[in-house]
Amino acid sequence: MGQGVLDVDDNNFESEILKADKPALVDFWAPWCGPCKAIGPAIQELEQTYGDRIVFARCNVDNSPNTPTQYSIRAIPTLILFQDGKVVDQVVGAVPKSHLESLVQKVL
Amino acid sequence: MREDVYDVAIIGCGPAGLQAAIHAASKKAKVVVFGKPQKSSLYKAHIANYCCYEKPISGKEILKTGRKQAEGFDAVFLEEDIIETKNENDLFSLVTESGETFTSRALVLSMGVARKKLGVKGEKRLVGRGVSYCVDCDANFFKGMDVAVVGNESAAVTGALTLLLYASTVHLICRKLVVTDTLYNRLRDSQVEVTEDTWVKEVIGTDEVEGLLLKNGDTLNVNGVFVELGAKGALELAANLGAVFDAETFSFIETNKKQETNIPGLYAAGDIAGQPWQIAKAVGEGCVAGIEAAEYAKRLVES
Repeated sequence: MGQGVLDVDDNNFESEILKADKPALVDFWAPWCGPCKAIGPAIQELEQTYGDRIVFARCNVDNSPNTPTQYSIRAIPTLILFQDGKVVDQVVGAVPKSHLESLVQKVL
Repeated sequence: MREDVYDVAIIGCGPAGLQAAIHAASKKAKVVVFGKPQKSSLYKAHIANYCCYEKPISGKEILKTGRKQAEGFDAVFLEEDIIETKNENDLFSLVTESGETFTSRALVLSMGVARKKLGVKGEKRLVGRGVSYCVDCDANFFKGMDVAVVGNESAAVTGALTLLLYASTVHLICRKLVVTDTLYNRLRDSQVEVTEDTWVKEVIGTDEVEGLLLKNGDTLNVNGVFVELGAKGALELAANLGAVFDAETFSFIETNKKQETNIPGLYAAGDIAGQPWQIAKAVGEGCVAGIEAAEYAKRLVES
């Protein structure tokens, strides 16, 4: 069990995600996005299972415009998996929990 | 805003919504039903596996009769899609495609499930690279760009109007528009460039969307394509209210045996509450949802 889903923004993205000592899954979301809300519980559940080995974070694209631009995000939710500061893989949209789980397992 | 508060609002007028309306209204609840009967998957079907009807019956007939029954109990029907839902101070507020706001104490979601993807070349590959299925989510990423919306109904037209606030040019690609007159007039008076009588053949682009190839042979240079088929569905209308979805597909709203969702006063019935997609299940769930929603509204008034 981990520490819960961490809120990250343009200011701490580098320190919390790119320079993290663990792989990180970042959920780019916004409060007014229905599909983002729908997958929220699934991400929290995954955090419960894998949170000790992977950083689970979310970045509100409304408050942090630079980071989504840097990763060419054009749709939310977008989930990007990082390891050693590099993008390992990413998914767009409300994909099934099993799909998210197989994404996470790529860095275990 | 309309001042009168309905006890039970129902989105969707297929078998689940109709049965919910019949049961809620027969319990003296003030009921309003939104939706277009021709959108029900029952509309074009012939039913041969519904208990007690030996000969195949026409879905269209069932829908017509159900509405008549519900109207007999004073339920009000509006052939409008709902484009926005909110939940504040124990009341649900619903905005119709024509722009009117209605409020209710309980809300039954029975709008069914619908296809969301076009299924054309290039679409899947460019998801998140210019292809989007949610104007409300992604409009902000297309500031100052040229975009196209694809669809024939309320989600596409309201989506195109929303995009005018962000994009520099907004195209609407449709076969034939099926919206209320009010919404049609808003579109006609807007800057949206409408291309009718055609459809998308291919989404063009290498790393991101560069354009659309249409069935009429034309090419349209756009940076974004918003696929907005049909009316707004569960992900747009229920997730905003905080409803929990099934984690495996995010297509169905989770309910208990009373058809209650995790949100007080919010019920789901029929296809939107999960498989099997059968009229018998929809009617059964609609019955439960209608009774429960009417009782919830009554408790709310008395409390």
